[in-house]
Parts: sequence; structure tokens; C-alpha cells
Amino acid sequence: MREMTRHWAGRIYLLSLLLSIIAFIVFLVVGGAGVGADGNPIVLFGWMTMPLVGGVVFVLFWLITYIIYFFFFWPYR
Amino acid sequence: MTVTIIALAAFGAVIVLMAAYGYRISAKTAEDYMLGGRTIGVVVMFFFVLFAISSAWTFYGFPGLLYTQGPGYVMFIWGSVAGFAGLYMFLGPRLWALAKINRFLSPVEVLSERYESKALRLILSLSILAFIVPYVGIQPLGVGAGFEALTGLPAAWGAIYTAIILIVLVLLGGMRIVAWVNIFLGVVYMTALLGSLIWVVARLFPDGGLVQAVDIIRERTPALLSAPGPNGQYTSIVLGGAFVVGLLAFSWPHVAIGCMTARDKSLFKWFPLLIFIFGGLFFYILPFLWGSVVAPAALPIEQLTQEAAANGVPLQMEADRVVQTVISRTLPSWFGVYVLLGVIAAAVSTAAVQLMTSSVIVSRDVIQGLFKPQASDQQITTWARWSVVVIVLLSMVVSFFNSGAMALYLTDVSVPGFAQWAPALVGALLWKRATRQGAIAGTVAGVVYLVLSLLIVVDGNRILVVGNPVIVSLLVNTIVFIVVSKLTPRPSEAIEMQFYDEVDEYLKAETGR
Repeated sequence: MREMTRHWAGRIYLLSLLLSIIAFIVFLVVGGAGVGADGNPIVLFGWMTMPLVGGVVFVLFWLITYIIYFFFFWPYR
Repeated sequence: MTVTIIALAAFGAVIVLMAAYGYRISAKTAEDYMLGGRTIGVVVMFFFVLFAISSAWTFYGFPGLLYTQGPGYVMFIWGSVAGFAGLYMFLGPRLWALAKINRFLSPVEVLSERYESKALRLILSLSILAFIVPYVGIQPLGVGAGFEALTGLPAAWGAIYTAIILIVLVLLGGMRIVAWVNIFLGVVYMTALLGSLIWVVARLFPDGGLVQAVDIIRERTPALLSAPGPNGQYTSIVLGGAFVVGLLAFSWPHVAIGCMTARDKSLFKWFPLLIFIFGGLFFYILPFLWGSVVAPAALPIEQLTQEAAANGVPLQMEADRVVQTVISRTLPSWFGVYVLLGVIAAAVSTAAVQLMTSSVIVSRDVIQGLFKPQASDQQITTWARWSVVVIVLLSMVVSFFNSGAMALYLTDVSVPGFAQWAPALVGALLWKRATRQGAIAGTVAGVVYLVLSLLIVVDGNRILVVGNPVIVSLLVNTIVFIVVSKLTPRPSEAIEMQFYDEVDEYLKAETGR
């Protein structure tokens, strides 16, 4: 991690991950995993509940940023 | 019954044979026994770690809690995926390089050398053992519950069978064979989990599969499809807390030690890819679907509540084995046996790594580090092997007297306990200014606060706990660590050179092959 703080790509990477964690917590706090405006649970594609959808989006974000950084910018790659 | 016994015997025999083979080919050195000779490649490492963290809890505790409380608890999983990946992205390369350059055999040894403190070595060893040992015991007892649900025989038989396999595997095989056996165990576990899910969905919900199952829940108990769940437990604060607790997965000692077994640094580049794709986007979704969609649609919670009352056990204990119950009532009995093997595989794969880690700490850090510094390689290996037996017995006794829900034991006790060495670990690897006094003061403050917060109960409430026991205790630990480090003299230049400059040079120079 020390190596990541020594160049711009690393700093952007760390900042992106930090912001994604904050965004995910905000998503939970504002009720993103709760019911919809009509009081019913939100279910995507008929089977994906919001706690699952939110988590999948979060993991996908980490996956994409990781691939970009570790395969193109990581100093020890 | 005969089929069950034959299957269990054959399964146990495969593991014992693999352990015996591992003993035969091992180099008989402490490094080989404790860290697999530092030769674990990325594929083996992936199975090793994934199934080290996917215990009987994944099959019982996790779906069991989703079944009764709705899907909110999955936030712990999302945090964990990021936490495990974070360990290998941020801390792993340095921990691995440090251990390889200096021939360290245990993560506690790394910290005690970094902070130049035997007292810290003792404190960290005892606190890690105190929180890891009961969790080892949960695994055989978890298997016992499934064994009872499937065969009707006493749960103790399943627990004893699992404990014997564990002891033989770790005592003979060491870290390398534990890692290899995890591939075999992982395949059994994954096919059981996935196969049972597909088969049960096809049989019970032929007109739409998961969509049909969700429709049934939507009509029957819609609160099971969103937070805060039917009992209102997973409020925004609790959801956020579960997520943060998951992020702390980087500090699980039995996962951290995996970094020290890596063959080369390229592992740290590739490993997160597997964790994100295979772990986060596939594997952990299976028990989620089991607990939050399939089981509640297949077996209404009202019915399970009645059965729990009839059996004289709490609902959550009955819910912990709901997956096994649905399988045994829906699928042919022979497949139920295979699923039980899968659960045993999950339990053994986790407990074996935890046992290895515990025995390394007992032998290398407690006995050699504090009492017998001149011990030979052969002696510390022998101590590590025999400590396995003691730890298994001790852990089962402790777990036997813990009757709480399996999922909550992990997140409310084990993870907060594991997390107490996190500030000292992160500081040792990343912060030159971290001092011995800071690490000792922070760890002691965090552990004391955690223990008090778990013990002090007023009117049924733990008054020192906010959200999850880890949150305030870790905050106290971190603040004390930073403040005391700032107030005490900085570490020597020799330590800075050994733990930072040399490591940077090594990581730059190492080819990654």
C-alpha cells in the first residue's frame, strides 16, 4: 500500500475505493436495501433483492478499478 | 444408514491418505510444516483461502440468519469480499516479503520483531488464540447439527468424526497438505452447495425457479425480501455495522498467514481477481439464495417455529440447519449424504487452517518465542503437531457450552476479537512511526474494552456496545495506538531499514516469477 501512495494512479485508486465504501454505507443509511416508495420490496429480474443488487454493484466496482490499477499501473506488477 | 457410514468412511479415508502422503513428501522442517515451504501458487492459494473462510457457517449460520431475519446480514459478506481482497492488495506483498527475507514463520513473530517486544508477542498470541480457539470448535459442532438432521443420530457422533479427521490432517499434513486438501474439500463443498440449490429449485419451483420462490415469499412474508427484515433488526445502523465488520476480514489471522505461504509476488496481483469474480459474484451468492429465497419459500418460518418448539430448541438453532432440513425432505437420501460430506468439507477446510495457525502461534510464538529460544526445527514442529490435539479438545469443550446462533458468534465475538491486532498489524507494515508502546497499549485497551463490552449486560442490553462489539473497541484500540505511538520515541533506524527500505527494494527487484 505504501507504493500506491507514491504515484497519482495509486492515489486515485485508493480514493476510488474509499469513496465506494462511503457511497455503499450512504446507500444503506438512506434505505437502499429497504422497501420501495410503495412500501413493497424492490426485486430486480424477479429474484434479485436490493441487498443483493447493492452488493453486486459494489463488488463490480472494486473488480473494475482493481483490474485497471493492478494490471496497468501497480509498480510491482 | 449403511450408505451414510460407507460414504463417511470413504471420505475420511481420502483425507487421511492425502495427509499421510503429505507427511511422506514433506521436508520435515518447521518452514515446510508451518508455511508449506513458501511454495503455494495462486490457484492453490485461492482454494486454500476461499475454503478457509467458507466454513460450516456458510451452509448453516449464514443462511440460517437470513432465513429468520431477512437479507440484511449479507452486508457482512460484501464487506468481507472487500476485506479479503484488501489484505492481498494492500498488506499481503509486504507481509510476504518481510517474512521471506527474514525467515519469519508466524504473523505474530513479524509484529514482535517489528516492535522489538516479547510482551507484545505474548499479548497478541493469547488474544488471537482466545478468539480463534472457540471458532475452531464451532466447525465440528456445526457438522454435528447437520449429521443429526440427516441421520437422526446424536450430533456428538458427527462432531467426533470431524474432530478426528481434523487432528489427523493437521498433525500429519502441515500447511501444504491443508492447502491441497482444501482443493478437494472445496470441490465437494461447492458441488454440494450448487447442486442442491439447482436440484431443490427445479423440484420445488418448476414454474419460474427463483422468481416463483420470491413470489411465494412476497405473498407469505414480504418483509423477508428487504431490510430491516421481519423483526426489524437490520436497521440502517446495523446494516452499516455488518458491512464494516466484514471489511475487517483482512485481519483474520488464519487468512493473514496465507500471505506468508505465497510462492512469489505475482500471486498478489492475480489473487484479488479470483476473490472478486469467483468469491463475490458467484460463490457467496449461493448460500444467500439458499437462506433468503429458497429455504423460506420451501419451508415457511411458521412451520419451522412449530418444529423448533416440538424439538425443544430455539428457533434460530433450528434455522441454522434449515438448508439441510429442506434438502433431506426434498431430494433423495443419497444426495443428502453428499451434502453432509460437503458440509464436513467446509468445516474441515476452515478449522484445519485455523488449527494450523493456532499451532504455529503456540509453538513458534509462545513456546519458542518466550521460553525456548534455542529450540531446534524438529522441536518446534513437534510442539506444533501436538498442540493440535490440545486445541481441538479445548475448542470443542468451549464451543459445547456456547449455545448462541452460529452466525452471530462469528460476527459478534470472533471477528471483533481478530480485529484487535489489526492496528498493530497495519502499523507494523505501513507506518514507520508506530512504536512498541503504542502497539501494546492499543491492543490491551481494545481487548479489555471488547471483553468488558461482551460481559457487561444491563437489562438484557450490552451497554458498552454500539452497533457491533468491534466498532467502539477497535476505535479505542486505534486511537490509543496512534496517540501513544506519537508520544513515545520513534523506532530505531535499523528497524526502519529492515522493515521498510529493504522490503521496498526487495519488492521492486523480485521478478514475480
